Amino acid sequence: MAEVIIDVKRLAKRFPGVDALTDISFQIRKNAVHCLVGENGAGKSTFIKILTGVYQADEGELLLNGKVFKPKNIRESRKAGITAIYQELNVVDDLTVEQNLSLGKEKHRWGVVQKMPDLGKVASILKDLDPRIQLNQKVATLSVAQKQVIEIAKAISSDANIIVMDEPTAAISEEEVRRLFEIIQTLKQQRVTVIYISHRLSEIFEIGDDVTVFRDGKMINTLAVEELNHNGRSQASVELVKMMLGKVVAEHYTPNEIDYQIKVLEAQNLTNNTLKNVTFDLYKGEILGFYGLVGSGKTEIARVLYGLDPFTGRVVIKGKECRLGRVHDAIKAGITMIPEERRAEGIFGLLSIRENIPIMKMSNVLKNKIISRFKERNLAQSYIQKLRMVARDEEQGVSFLSGGNQQKVVISKCLNSQSSIFLMDEPTRGVDVGAKEEIHNIIRGLSKEGCSIIVFSSELPEIVNLCDRIVLMYEGEIRKVLKNHKNIDSEEIMHIITGGKWGAS
Amino acid sequence: MIEPSTVQSNPSLHLSRILDAQKVTLIGVIIAIFIFFTIFAPNFLTAQNLMFVILKVSTIIIVATAATLLMITGNFDLSVGSVLAFSGIMHAFMAKHGIPSALSLVLAIGWGMLFGYLNGLTVARLKITPVIATLATMYIARGFAFLVARWDGGANISAGLPQDFSSFGRTMIGPLPLLAIIMIVLVAVFIFIERKTVLGRYIFAMGSNPDAARLSGINVPGIITSLYVLTGAFAGLCGAIQTSRIGMGSPQNFKGFEFDVLIALILGGTSLKGGEGSITGMVLGALIVGVAGNGLNLMAVSPYYQLVFNGSILVIAVVIYQGLGKKFQ
Amino acid sequence: MGCIMIKAVLKGFTQKQEFVLFAILVFICTVFTIITPFFLSAYNIGNLLRAVSMIVIVACGGTLLMMTANFDLSTGGNLIFSNIIFAMTCLAGVPVVFALGITILCGCVIGAINGILVARFSVTPFIATLSTWFIFKGIAKAITDNNEIKAGLPKGFDFLGQGQIGPIPMPIIFLVVVVVIFLFLERKTLLGKYSMAIGGNPTAAYLSGIDGNKIIFLLYTITGGLAGLAGSIAASRIGSGNPRMGDGFEFDVIIAIILGGTPLTGGRGTILGTLIGALIVAVIGSGLNMLGMLSFWQLVLKGAILVVAILLNEKFRK
Repeated sequence: MAEVIIDVKRLAKRFPGVDALTDISFQIRKNAVHCLVGENGAGKSTFIKILTGVYQADEGELLLNGKVFKPKNIRESRKAGITAIYQELNVVDDLTVEQNLSLGKEKHRWGVVQKMPDLGKVASILKDLDPRIQLNQKVATLSVAQKQVIEIAKAISSDANIIVMDEPTAAISEEEVRRLFEIIQTLKQQRVTVIYISHRLSEIFEIGDDVTVFRDGKMINTLAVEELNHNGRSQASVELVKMMLGKVVAEHYTPNEIDYQIKVLEAQNLTNNTLKNVTFDLYKGEILGFYGLVGSGKTEIARVLYGLDPFTGRVVIKGKECRLGRVHDAIKAGITMIPEERRAEGIFGLLSIRENIPIMKMSNVLKNKIISRFKERNLAQSYIQKLRMVARDEEQGVSFLSGGNQQKVVISKCLNSQSSIFLMDEPTRGVDVGAKEEIHNIIRGLSKEGCSIIVFSSELPEIVNLCDRIVLMYEGEIRKVLKNHKNIDSEEIMHIITGGKWGAS
Repeated sequence: MIEPSTVQSNPSLHLSRILDAQKVTLIGVIIAIFIFFTIFAPNFLTAQNLMFVILKVSTIIIVATAATLLMITGNFDLSVGSVLAFSGIMHAFMAKHGIPSALSLVLAIGWGMLFGYLNGLTVARLKITPVIATLATMYIARGFAFLVARWDGGANISAGLPQDFSSFGRTMIGPLPLLAIIMIVLVAVFIFIERKTVLGRYIFAMGSNPDAARLSGINVPGIITSLYVLTGAFAGLCGAIQTSRIGMGSPQNFKGFEFDVLIALILGGTSLKGGEGSITGMVLGALIVGVAGNGLNLMAVSPYYQLVFNGSILVIAVVIYQGLGKKFQ
Repeated sequence: MGCIMIKAVLKGFTQKQEFVLFAILVFICTVFTIITPFFLSAYNIGNLLRAVSMIVIVACGGTLLMMTANFDLSTGGNLIFSNIIFAMTCLAGVPVVFALGITILCGCVIGAINGILVARFSVTPFIATLSTWFIFKGIAKAITDNNEIKAGLPKGFDFLGQGQIGPIPMPIIFLVVVVVIFLFLERKTLLGKYSMAIGGNPTAAYLSGIDGNKIIFLLYTITGGLAGLAGSIAASRIGSGNPRMGDGFEFDVIIAIILGGTPLTGGRGTILGTLIGALIVAVIGSGLNMLGMLSFWQLVLKGAILVVAILLNEKFRK
């Protein structure tokens, strides 16, 4: 069955400051389970958004069953038979299963809903998928997996022949994953093509027929899962990860001056819903890196250390045990965080660059307890120069800046807090290469001044070029801590972050 | 290699330039209204009438100083009118029962702060939407105002007040009444706070992005509660002074006052969504509300048509500002 | 009709929150009856229902509206305006039935204005409905100079509010009819279902092809029409067009809706819950009146109930 249902030809999509997709070409076979893999920001979701009509491509084209396909919105793509199921499920909790399934397609006379005679069709589809679900149950009482099943049933009953599943196993139990896979097999038999996005590589191997690897907005490779497997499963994982992450060269790494006598931060047995007994130390002047695939627990550690999420365990900062129940506690203990989502958590869009930067330590721009416009301007200009921000001037509203420049504003804001411990969650995500390097230099400069930095990143080049030690995470656990050096073995790293045990083969 | 991008911006539509145009428009409107009423409203330009205008505008502005900052954080207070009424009647009640003016004035501010704290609690800590939370307080305060009148035995408190009850409210400092002096001082103070203090900066930040504010270490619930308390305090103060000036405490007073404040704020360019606004804009808005209300009264326009006028202005202003805002996105 | 109502009532009991509310209602009634046996008299109950009828009539539309996460503060102003319009049209010699129709139509127009502002111009419901509240309350008071319209009203004028069919007073008949209609709308029609969908998951609603704006517009219009009806009944009850009544009406409506289990954020809610919510507030008011408690305490109490109701809704969410 080598028939092609979707043909992607040289697709490109650009946003201000970032090329989300460049020259993407590949094919999706009919009735196959086609997996998309790649790190965050690699381009998978941009592609899906073009496929479902949320975005329109800047270049290239999509062929659906041989005909040019250019949906202008989600409804058009749905009409064409493409349904996407996301983690934010599109079900109405307070309606019943039956009401959800018939939403928008009710048989009615003058607005009065009739008992649907052909709810039978979708009802029987549902029964096949999960017989435990009752039609008159309120959807709110269903589990996440069951809600997914509802969406799948609804998609099938509206004659969808392509179903996109975006991280479907993120919030469901192992048993439900089994069931989901059975359902996917059923779907294949019913002539549905499944596009499957997941960061859990084991799933790719279990259920995928083909896989396309995205990296930095480009299509690296598309191949059958069988081909990957020819050297054995564990090697297949490593191959896949290599494609996802690219060549890893640590040529820029120079060791920082670390004072191993002073433990600036000690984390002991940090545990919560995601983390499992995370224990590590941070030394003065050190740049410590946390690396792992999406979902491995990196951001969770940052959030815990910044007082955002509850946890059990101990945190000792500069010798004093700290209760990190609120952000206030963390800041008081000398910790500053650059958050992962700059738009939502980092910038004050309505304010100017000048007004954003000093916020975490206003005393820097005060003169006699009054805000000094003069000091603010100087401060802003110095950061604009230091970080090579591109803006008209310091009065520009931050919401008008490109993503990379916004990130620079956030970094300036945090640098200005003059803390001694920095948590940086994806510090250069969405930032162009030149700016990346500038930001890295700033981080190295901080370490020279005696600050200690923890970098949480899903970009391996960033980690190996910056960090003195690298903590490798997998599924909420620390698997290994490596000391960085110019010839670090990226194979080992890739093995470990995919759950493998290095040393055994 | 990815080139550093040039920034997407609209250089000719820099935010502050828009606001300046807005303020100029407002000033123009005020001048136009003034001229209009001078011609068409009898006795508009008399000393006595101007005094009325000053008093009315002062009350609005005093309360609106704190309310402006509150709205910049994305919250507002519908209870101010009721709080004014309650403090006023309490002031009369206490005066009637022998409590010295100075003390009951302080207590009046205290009542206001109490209701303000209630608002802060429900909005900032219990996270109930400001519309409903302060609406509830509005009814609660108004209810208590009626109760005080009833306890006193009548519909309002106008008899049995000490001789000097009204004198406090009618105090003049130079050519200006007390309220006006307070207004001027507070406007100056709040402009200062808005532009030059850390608190002012935090308030704009909170309105722009409450999550980022929290992550930057700003005490969001604390500041919101403080602003509600302050608004309440000013309402209490004005309630006492105005009641003293009128010479009668009534639970029916100041009905609709919160909407005068709201309109003043919105006309002045403070957005309900937060993150934008100014004290100076509010002053202009309050002038429009006060002068227009006064002029229409003089022209014997039924106060009820003024309600229609207010409602229309409110919605038209919001629609226009929203439309302008979208254009400059 | 009766079957639907019985079925609806029974179905209502299987939902958790209404059951709790009903239990509260029964409890409160019991307490008051113990204190004053007069409480349970036909006279008192009749009075209660008559008083609450207008609130519930408007709150039926308001419930569906709040399920879409919108609300209407203008119902009070609408009520006053309709009150006056009804009296004026009757005064002008129009037969009462037609006058009623005209008034309801006017109410719909007011509601439609709200709908356009919110759905088409994206004005936040707070400002939009507050403005209409001002405008129409103002017009009503201006036309009448805040005076009653009493003289010269035709004989049939009183019937809507004070008459009865058989042993049942007219307002209660209206109440029952409207509630039954809305129970039907809520459970058996697209309008009810879509209202819940729009508030519960707007994206899902959009993707299913539902035009949220159209529905919101429709709901505002309907609520406006209901206010027109309520205003007419109110005028008829006191026997005159009175622009001074209706203070705090919109507040009563909103309390009933929220107490009845419809959260401000929408997505949930039931007509039955709103009915019970309105009854609870009315019963408390009536009971406290009988105990000689000043009606002003009720204002205070209502404010407190509102806050508590909102918090309770949050609890029930989880």
